[in-house]
Amino acid sequence: MHVLITTPFHPAYVTAERIKKAKNLELLLTAGIGSDHIDLPAAAAAGLTVAEVTGSNTVSVAEDELMRILILLRNFLPGYQQVVKGEWNVAGIAHRAYDLEGKTVGTVGAGRIGRLLLQRLKPFNCNLLYHDRLQINPELEKEIGAKFEEDLDAMLPKCDVIVINTPLTEKTRGMFNKEKIAKMKKGVIIVNNARGAIMDTQAVADACSSGHIAGYGGDVWFPQPAPKDHPWRYMPNHAMTPHISGTTIDAQLRYAAGVKDMLDRYFKGEDFPAENYIVKEGELASQYK
Amino acid sequence: SMAAHVRGCRCSSLFLSSFFAGGKKIVGVFYQAGEYADKNPDFVGCVEGALGIRDWLESNGHHYIVTDDKEGLNSELEKHIEDMHVLITTPFHPAYVTAERIKKAKNLELVLTAGIGSDHIDLLAAAAAGLTVAEVTGSNTVSVAEDQLMRILILLRNFLPGYQQVVKGEWNVAGIAHRAYDLEGKTVGTVGAGRIGRLLLQRLKPFNCNMLYHDRIRINPELEKEIGAKFEEDLDVMLPKCDVIVINTPLTEKTRGMFNKEKIAKMKKGVIIVNNARGAIMDTQAVADACSNGYIAGYGGDVWFPQPAPKDHPWRYMPNHAMTPHTSGTTIDAQLRYASGVKDMLDRYFKGEDFPVENYIVKEGELASQYK
Repeated sequence: MHVLITTPFHPAYVTAERIKKAKNLELLLTAGIGSDHIDLPAAAAAGLTVAEVTGSNTVSVAEDELMRILILLRNFLPGYQQVVKGEWNVAGIAHRAYDLEGKTVGTVGAGRIGRLLLQRLKPFNCNLLYHDRLQINPELEKEIGAKFEEDLDAMLPKCDVIVINTPLTEKTRGMFNKEKIAKMKKGVIIVNNARGAIMDTQAVADACSSGHIAGYGGDVWFPQPAPKDHPWRYMPNHAMTPHISGTTIDAQLRYAAGVKDMLDRYFKGEDFPAENYIVKEGELASQYK
Repeated sequence: SMAAHVRGCRCSSLFLSSFFAGGKKIVGVFYQAGEYADKNPDFVGCVEGALGIRDWLESNGHHYIVTDDKEGLNSELEKHIEDMHVLITTPFHPAYVTAERIKKAKNLELVLTAGIGSDHIDLLAAAAAGLTVAEVTGSNTVSVAEDQLMRILILLRNFLPGYQQVVKGEWNVAGIAHRAYDLEGKTVGTVGAGRIGRLLLQRLKPFNCNMLYHDRIRINPELEKEIGAKFEEDLDVMLPKCDVIVINTPLTEKTRGMFNKEKIAKMKKGVIIVNNARGAIMDTQAVADACSNGYIAGYGGDVWFPQPAPKDHPWRYMPNHAMTPHTSGTTIDAQLRYASGVKDMLDRYFKGEDFPVENYIVKEGELASQYK
C-alpha cells in the first residue's frame, strides 16, 4: 500500500514491524484526531508523512466532555437505571447529586479541545482552571475566564472536576497513576475523552471502588476495542461508552472531507495545512516530542 | 388524649407551654431517604433532613410533623389536615392538595412549595378558601437548566446505547455513531422563556446553535440580543424548524395536555424533546407512540404524571428515552437553597410580614399571572 488511512475509533496499530514491511508506504492519514496508535519515531525514521484532520472533531469532543461532567455531577445514571427497572427513589439519586454551578473545574491541557470546553463551561459560572505547557494568550484567557495553573500538582487538589485534554505521548502515558490520583480531592469527578493509556487502568478502578473518585467517565480505553473484561466496564460510578465522541455524523463528514482534501494534495504533490502534520520530513509535531 | 398525643410526637418540653401561647402546626411532605439519610449532612430535602428547620421550629414553640405518606384517606398527611396551619409540599414527591383536602383543612392558612411549580395544588380552590400559596422562586432554576442541557446532549449524542454496550461487555461503535450528532449548528427551540428558559439559552450560547424561543411575553431587546435567541410569536410556526424542543412552561389549565398527537406531528421527524417542566403538559401515550415509531428520535426529562410514576408507566419502556425520577431541581445545592427560602418565608409568616413578591402563587384570592 502507498497510503494507509486509520481512525482512532477502531485504530489500526501501526507498529515498527508493520512499517518495516510496508515498502511502498508513503503516507499515513488519521481520519480524526490523535495519532498515538502509530509508532511515530519509527514512522519518522522511515521517512513517512503522518497527518491528521486537525480540528475536525474538536467541538464534538468538547461537547461530549461537558455532557459527561453533567452526567456524573448530577448523578444521572442511577436515576435512569431506576426508571428502566420500574423503580422510583428520589433520595437514592439526590443524596449525591450536585449542580455544576460554583464548582472548580480544571482541565489538564488547554489546546484546541480544552479551550472549546472552557468556552462552553463559561455560562455555568464555575471556577475554571487550566494546566498546560503553554499559557493561553492574555486576551483569550481573560475572555474565557480561566486561571492558569503552572504546577499540575498544585491544581489537582483544588478541583471538584478534572478533565483530561492532553495527547497520548511518552510523557503522558500512565501519568495518572495511584500517586497522582491521591493528589486529587476525595470525591473528584474525572472525565477523560483523550486517551485511555494516560490513566493507570487499575488505579482508576480501585479509586472508583473506594470512592476517592466519585465518578469517572469517558470514551477512551486501552486497548480499543476494550475487551469484555476491562475493569472500567464494571467499576462503580462510571459514565463510559465505546470510543464515539469524535465520530458523530457531523464529525465524520468533516474528517472525511479533510482526508479527501489531503489525498488530493498528495496526488498533486502539494503540502497539507501546516497544523495537520504529525510527522514530516523526519520531525515529530511539538506535542509528541 | 393530649397526653398520648404529646408522648407520640418528637418535641421538646417547650412545645407544651408554647402550644397554649400560639405555636403553629406545620406539616411537611417530602421524599423518604431511608438508607441514604445519613450519607450527606447537607441532604436536607428528605423527610429525615426535614429541610434542616426542625430545631429552629421547635425551639420557637411550633409543632413540626414530617412524612412521605401522602396518598389516600388513611395516610399520615390526612391525619393532620384538619388542624395544620401550614403545609409544606415539594414537587419531587408532591402532596396533591385537592379541593376536598382544602375543605377539611379548617386551620390551614399557608401552603409553601419547597422548590418551584405549585400545580399539585388546586390553586382555584386555594384562592377561594383565602389561602396563601407561595414557592421558593428561583431556588432551583439553574439546576433545572443545567439538567436540560445535559439531556439534550445525552439524546443528540446518543450516549445511552453506548453506556449500555459497555455494561453488557460489548463494543460496537457503529451501533452508536450512525445516529449520533453534535449540538453545534442545530436549531433548538424553547417553549417558554421564563427564568429557566433564559438560563438554558445562556448556557446553550457557546455551543453555536440556532436558538429560538416562544413565550407569551417577549424578552427585552437588550437581553434578547445578548442571549442571541430569536422570538417566535407563533408556536406552530416554530415547531417544524426545531431539531430540539425544550419545554419550559408551568403546568396550567392552558398547558395541560398541549403536546398531543397533533402538536407532535407539527414537529420535525426525528425531533429531540426535553421536558423537565411537568409531565402532564404532554399527552403520555402520544409521546410513547411517537418514540416507538421514530417520529420522536429521543425524549428525556425528569417529570411524569403522576408522581411517583407507576411501575408500568409507558415512558419507562419506550425506545430512545433519557428519563429519570424527578430529581433535576433537588440536587444538594438546590435543596440548601429552597430549604433556606422556606425558612425565610415561615419566619415572615410568624412575624406577619410579606414574602418576596415573586414567591406568591396565590395571594388574597388572586392567582399569579402564569396560572391565570
